Amino acid sequence: MTPSEILQDTFGKAIISASVVHGFPVFVLDKETLPLVAHFVHTHPDLRGSLSLLWAVDHRPREARYELCYLFTLAARKDWLLLRSDLHGDDRLFRSITPHIHAAKWYEREVRDLFGLIAQGHPDLRRLVRHEHWPKGTHPLKKDFSWDTVMGRQEGQYAFRRIEGEGVFEVPVGPIHAGIIEPGHFRFSVAGEPIMQLELHHFWKHRGVEKLFERRRLTDAMPLAERVSGDTTIGHSLAYCQAVETLLGVDVPRRAKYLRSLFLELERLHNHLGDVGAICNDTAYALAHAHCSRMKERIMQLNDRLTGSRFLRGVNLVGGVGCNLAAGQLAEIAEEAAAIERDFSELEAIIFANASLTDRLEATGILKERTAWDHAVMGVVGRASGIDRDLRRDHPFAAYDELPVKVALYRYGDVRARLRVRMDEIHESMRLIREIRARIPQGAIMAEPSRVPAAGEWALSAVEGWRGEILYMVMAGEEGRIHRCKVRDPSFVNWPAIQWAVLGNIIPDFPLINKSFNLSYAGNDL
Amino acid sequence: MFRIIKKSLKTGVVTGQHPEAAPAAQPVPADAKATTKPFRRSLAIREVDTGSCNACEMEMNALMNPVYDGERFGLHVAASPRHADALVVTGPVTVNMERALKDVYKATPDPKIVIALGDCAITCGQFKGSYAVTGPVERHIPVDVRIPGCPPRPAEILAALEDLRERLGKPAG
Repeated sequence: MTPSEILQDTFGKAIISASVVHGFPVFVLDKETLPLVAHFVHTHPDLRGSLSLLWAVDHRPREARYELCYLFTLAARKDWLLLRSDLHGDDRLFRSITPHIHAAKWYEREVRDLFGLIAQGHPDLRRLVRHEHWPKGTHPLKKDFSWDTVMGRQEGQYAFRRIEGEGVFEVPVGPIHAGIIEPGHFRFSVAGEPIMQLELHHFWKHRGVEKLFERRRLTDAMPLAERVSGDTTIGHSLAYCQAVETLLGVDVPRRAKYLRSLFLELERLHNHLGDVGAICNDTAYALAHAHCSRMKERIMQLNDRLTGSRFLRGVNLVGGVGCNLAAGQLAEIAEEAAAIERDFSELEAIIFANASLTDRLEATGILKERTAWDHAVMGVVGRASGIDRDLRRDHPFAAYDELPVKVALYRYGDVRARLRVRMDEIHESMRLIREIRARIPQGAIMAEPSRVPAAGEWALSAVEGWRGEILYMVMAGEEGRIHRCKVRDPSFVNWPAIQWAVLGNIIPDFPLINKSFNLSYAGNDL
Repeated sequence: MFRIIKKSLKTGVVTGQHPEAAPAAQPVPADAKATTKPFRRSLAIREVDTGSCNACEMEMNALMNPVYDGERFGLHVAASPRHADALVVTGPVTVNMERALKDVYKATPDPKIVIALGDCAITCGQFKGSYAVTGPVERHIPVDVRIPGCPPRPAEILAALEDLRERLGKPAG
């Protein structure tokens, strides 16, 4: 039976309507039955749905209706499944699914902060995005909230979970950190050395990205998508492009698709190389860091020579890519990649010959497979904890339908496993770059839109960026504008999981564990 | 051990192997140069991110890699504002970071200079006007030096810092 048949069979009468939108099966449900169905999808052995995205849409001014959508990835089949329920009129309450599906925890808090919709039965309804100084009743994604509102300020303190008792200390860290990193707050509770509890307090960098999208036209929001998380310029711009191309009915030429894959792999390379070095550096092994940052710099300079931007900005455009590469440039990339791979392989041998280094990495910051599954952890972190998911293989986009990817998978879930995943992916990216050079077809690199989306039409797109799955939901508004754009960087999902990975470790190992996750603050805070 | 030595010998010196910086769009003002005189041959920098996309941070980090090697010019990243001569601020100032930025400014001992790094810090860039952004850095604290770019290349940052303190030597190679 297909997943749709299983749902029809079990909940036939409760399903208000079922349809398929751009390849995603959608089931509309009553708000009372949705938590039951969600729980069923999550636990049924033939579905094993893990929550990938939860978002809300305010349909005003066209309709007085809020819509809540729950996107599941079915682990048992590698399919998508979308559940939807509507809140009509002034109804602001819906039932929380967090008691059964842990991964929904931050999403439901986010929906409450940004839309003022309240998840009844949620175990923790403290503010998430809105810091305590935001005035009461500020819900920026509601349509009656103007994008350029000047906010007032009220007094208030975030209520951290506290552990009390003899010898228990709280260690606050941040928002401004010691290194050159983004702002975020970590609150540790320790008794002696080991960490008993870590609580995150993020969203210091909330810039109102999703609201700013709503001011743009479908075709001119690229600069914003590129700046959601600067280190993932290609990942985010590609995910945005693909969603808009689905809405506009653009058939992207093959050559452009190959170039997109190429740039995505270059981005993966420079970030992974940087991370391998940074992980070594946090164990005070500066030699590996120096070599890795030298290799990373080589790729950044290569990016600059190829496209005029070290971060590959302005490369992706709606309809294709803005930068064609000549055969000579492709040869240059392949040469650089081969040289760096040789260089990196020598360094790998040095790294793993160093017992005092590997000793720091092994059994540090273990994220168990079960915890990873419960939090729907994805990307590099997930693959180091036995979550066998990679969109490049499971839901091929760009040119990956013709480029089979070998997915790196480790089960220990410690810092070493996360390092190994990155190292394997560096080699795999090098191989993919060679493959792309051999297979890339000639032809156009841009295509024109073939249709105009109706207001309220939406599309989803998913891209495996270097951190993990990047999801975009773009809903068209009137006259080619954006009605709603939901951005989901993998960091938003993986951040809560770090709170579990550090338990029992000592605070001096936290920077190392954090670096091995290397999550984005900007992409999380939006 | 031999492996490490072999690797180092094979790699050689990479410092200075980068393209020349483009001429600065905004030259360093003379009074900023005067303020930094007491720091002589070193500059301890505290970097504060008030809402950037992380690209400026990556370029600041690149400044300390073996290729740009800011340390050879006496550039040093301080872990605390208390130890800093200069604040490098990136990103538009978000409502949530406004207070933290002002606190950091107060915690930095005088004399000090503030460097606004990147378009967002100077004009708010793509995020201008948003409800969650309270304006460019200079609305909250006095800014002495502006290094535009989205993000500025490390060579450009280095050139601006070099210009700021004319005693810094030219990059080797």
